[in-house]
Amino acid sequence: MIKFENVTKVYNKTIRAVNDISFNVKGGEIVGFIGPNGSGKTTTMKMLTGIIKADVGKITVNSFNIRKDPMKAKESIGYISDSPDMFLRLKGTEFLDLIGDIYHVPTKKRQERIEELSTRFELNEALSSPIMSYSHGMRQKIMVVAALMHNPPVWILDEPMIGLDPKSAYELKQMMREHANAGNAVFFSTHVLEVAEKLCDRVIIIKKGDILYDGTLENLENSSKSDSLEEIFLELTEK
Amino acid sequence: MSIYLKLVSALIKSVEPSGGEKKRNKVFYFVMSFIAVFLIMIPMAFLVGVMIYSLTAPLIKLGSGQNAVTLFLHLISVFSFVFGLNVIFSVFYFSGDIENLLPLPLQPYQIILSKFTAALISESVMEFIVIIAAFAGYIIASGAPFQSWIIAVLGMLTLPIIPLIYCAVICMLIMLVCHFVKNKDTVNKITSFLTFAVIIGIAAAVSQSGGLDTEHLVNAISAPGNPILNVMNIIFPHIQFLVGATVNNTFVNMLYYIGINLVAIGLFMMLSELIYFRTVSGISHAAASAKKPLSASLEKLRQRSRTITYLKKEFRILVRTPAYFMNCVMINLIWPVFLYLLYVLQGKTNFLDSFIYGIHTGSEESVLLFLLGISSLSVLITAANSIASSAITREGKHFAFIKYIPMPYMEQLNVKAMVSIIISGGGMLVYVIAAAIYLGMGIKMTLFCCLLSLLSVSFVSYFGIFMDSISPKLIWDDELNALRGNYYVFFNMAVAILLEAATCAGAYLLFRFTELGALMIIIMLFIFVMLLNAASYLLCRYRATKNIDNLNG
Repeated sequence: MIKFENVTKVYNKTIRAVNDISFNVKGGEIVGFIGPNGSGKTTTMKMLTGIIKADVGKITVNSFNIRKDPMKAKESIGYISDSPDMFLRLKGTEFLDLIGDIYHVPTKKRQERIEELSTRFELNEALSSPIMSYSHGMRQKIMVVAALMHNPPVWILDEPMIGLDPKSAYELKQMMREHANAGNAVFFSTHVLEVAEKLCDRVIIIKKGDILYDGTLENLENSSKSDSLEEIFLELTEK
Repeated sequence: MSIYLKLVSALIKSVEPSGGEKKRNKVFYFVMSFIAVFLIMIPMAFLVGVMIYSLTAPLIKLGSGQNAVTLFLHLISVFSFVFGLNVIFSVFYFSGDIENLLPLPLQPYQIILSKFTAALISESVMEFIVIIAAFAGYIIASGAPFQSWIIAVLGMLTLPIIPLIYCAVICMLIMLVCHFVKNKDTVNKITSFLTFAVIIGIAAAVSQSGGLDTEHLVNAISAPGNPILNVMNIIFPHIQFLVGATVNNTFVNMLYYIGINLVAIGLFMMLSELIYFRTVSGISHAAASAKKPLSASLEKLRQRSRTITYLKKEFRILVRTPAYFMNCVMINLIWPVFLYLLYVLQGKTNFLDSFIYGIHTGSEESVLLFLLGISSLSVLITAANSIASSAITREGKHFAFIKYIPMPYMEQLNVKAMVSIIISGGGMLVYVIAAAIYLGMGIKMTLFCCLLSLLSVSFVSYFGIFMDSISPKLIWDDELNALRGNYYVFFNMAVAILLEAATCAGAYLLFRFTELGALMIIIMLFIFVMLLNAASYLLCRYRATKNIDNLNG
């Protein structure tokens, strides 16, 4: 459902943020994207969503090329960015209504989805208030609700757990699993290795724009002498 | 001292375009700066200089040579105060850097003084040019010696200090009194209301006076015990000493001038030590609305066209963000006040009355001038309110939203242009229709005027969006910075003014010096505005969308 083929991104003709990477995420998979700060995770995710143009290579989402058929590709994506400070002057419902119209979510389905998601994230009573009055965690929650409202087949989540309280983080992890079990793809970045360990079917480790590892955690652990995922990660990324 | 200087430098850098932004568009930046400086700022400064020169020469004969420049500097100070109020409020209390500065081991005066200096420098560049031009007019007319120029330069750099200190003191006192409010939006509404009230007050005061023709002005200014000058000398006591020092080159006057400024700064620093920390803590940006049950919120959700919803989103953000509301929306209500001032101040020459008479009697020249005036005003208002020329900049940190939603860029840009057309064009239509009724124009002519106005607004709206797409300022800590710290808003205005001035001059010259009748020129004007529309739309369609695509969100 997600396919990267020899993708490269260079900033200002000098900084090679992503260097000839290739990977794919199949339906039914949760893939964790792990790497130190500045390793190219966010650039990769932004290229995947069409925010940044890749210099070289081909990116396909749900069989649609993000450059050649951007609207179809974007409609297939539910994206949570790394910053939830968006449209702070709008009320929660106004923001969700905007997203609903952009993704053509019918009224009834929209009401049902918002009810379901906001109940799971305990956001019900806040929806009538301006997003500006929300705490960081609540802003993150409404971004999650907005991204998932149209039930897209591909979820792309950039550090989705940051700011979420334990219950909401648990709910989101549950939903990621349910979504993948229904045959969809979930691709998310994280710094929290425990989350990756518990949730991911596969991890991709990136450093300075190069993919260092792409495979299951089980294989990674078997191929290393270190005991914990943390040690393996440090061993890989600090070489 | 070094902390103060470092803070000032950091604060100024935060509102300027980054080096990268400047480098990326070096040629464009150079051309735009050239247009802004040589075709707008310098001619404007020249006009000010000539005005002061022509008033000073007869005043010297009446023994009140310094009154014209003094009065003008008072006027500049009043404007500095009126437009500085909102800026100072925003800089002192609501900019994003406050949360980072407050936890640092800094004294209130260090924070306040550095913020004040940064605001003074970034807000007063245009004012500096006007002040030095006024001094130049005065020095040349009075034949003052060379040393006067040195004092004039000093005056240029320091004159806006006291008006901005007034703003700062008023801001701190409002926050002290309204401390229970603790809400940015409410405070912003109060300052917006105050600014509007002061502008209306000035208009009302001026409308009580006579005209602004040179003879009347010279008589009024030279009158012994001029009441306006006396009152202004109490409000801004430093100006008379500065002018005195420029005229007579007296050291005592200069000492008084510097002394008053130092005392004002000292008092301001003392007050900030006492009040600032008490008033700045705990400010929120928006209050939460009363909580509603989910069912009530869900009932309001309806599937609509995404264009309509996107349009509503744009309007809501413009109206609910006080900095945008004041600078982009309210300005449409303020400019008729300035037009009224122009009408009142025309004095004995009574150009407008003879123009109105010309329209009533069907004078071709008057009709042509009226249409050119409508087109020019529409262009100026649309460029000045910056709704279009900051449309992408206003997205700020959530610019990426434009790029990842499944809505074509051009569709989004059309909505953004529509917002500008509705607000600027809507306002213009009300004034055009009112003017047409007042002038007794027929329905066909009124409709044509409305159409010309809308086309002029639409051209500048699309052009403004294109200009903003070249290098939008997406990183700002405060909404006011998105507008004020954005050179492209100014560049857009410069290009629009230039283009409109060329159009009007061309049309009028054709009328005066060729056999073409007014009707033919009006048709040509209409076709030209249509072509400008097509060009600006195509620029958005093919260049602005590409610019957005190339921007990294």
